[in-house]
Amino acid sequence: MKKTLTWMALFVILVCGIDAGRYAFEHDPDMYSGFNQDVVSLYNNPDVYDLEHVEGVEDVIIAENLQKTMAANNVAAVVFDFRGFDTMGESFILLTAIAGCFTILGKASLFGTIPDKKKKEEAKA
Amino acid sequence: MKFRDGIEEKNVIVKCGADIFLPFAIVFGLYVILFGTVSPGGGFQGGVIVGSAVLLLYLGYGLKVLAKIINTEALRINEALGATVYVVLGLLGIIFGCNFCRNVFYSNGAVGDLVSAGTITFMSWAVGYKVLTGVSFLLILMLGLLRDDEEEEQKEGKTE
Repeated sequence: MKKTLTWMALFVILVCGIDAGRYAFEHDPDMYSGFNQDVVSLYNNPDVYDLEHVEGVEDVIIAENLQKTMAANNVAAVVFDFRGFDTMGESFILLTAIAGCFTILGKASLFGTIPDKKKKEEAKA
Repeated sequence: MKFRDGIEEKNVIVKCGADIFLPFAIVFGLYVILFGTVSPGGGFQGGVIVGSAVLLLYLGYGLKVLAKIINTEALRINEALGATVYVVLGLLGIIFGCNFCRNVFYSNGAVGDLVSAGTITFMSWAVGYKVLTGVSFLLILMLGLLRDDEEEEQKEGKTE
């Protein structure tokens, strides 16, 4: 049962990944290239920078945040919506760290194990 | 050190300090988790603040009381539960035909409300619950190593 569940989950993840790869291959992304941008004039006079017609990540997050997520906090929208994978990885790092600590230290530190050990030693003696 | 009913009595000043700061730590941490989406803070930070309450309990009362109060098995299971809830909320986007972690029902409340911005609020709460239980479990795991065999031998000698 466990093995079949694991293989099914892996299969679903594989299918999703292949579909995402096919989608990314078919559609060319709109990227901000910075072509024809006069950097020196921008450095001398930052007011020239056009905030309303930016092409890039800022365009999505600053201009379309309220329409897309309705979140009052931009950082929360980035952490849990635009970069949800990042947060998931962060929390899974904690999960794996605790699992490793539990396997290494669990028997030595958790309560109730040491008296059992003593009983075993007494029984052996 | 004194022993009464098999429980080690700690310093009075440390105990009173732990008594004073424990409710503040828990309430402030829960506030940071609940209002993570509309204020500075978030699930991770609030969870760590609530986890520090375990350390205050240890400083004030010692390991025996900690072991009596807190169920470590439940902490371990609830941590995995929080991670699962986060993944399920992220998969909602795929179920509704968008990509992972997409905000599918984002219009449930006015901007700035406690429960608004769709899945973001619930994801923040799930991460907060996961970090709260995980950090508490990790702290108990580490503090359990501090127990010496000498103290137990001392206790046995006193009770006899």
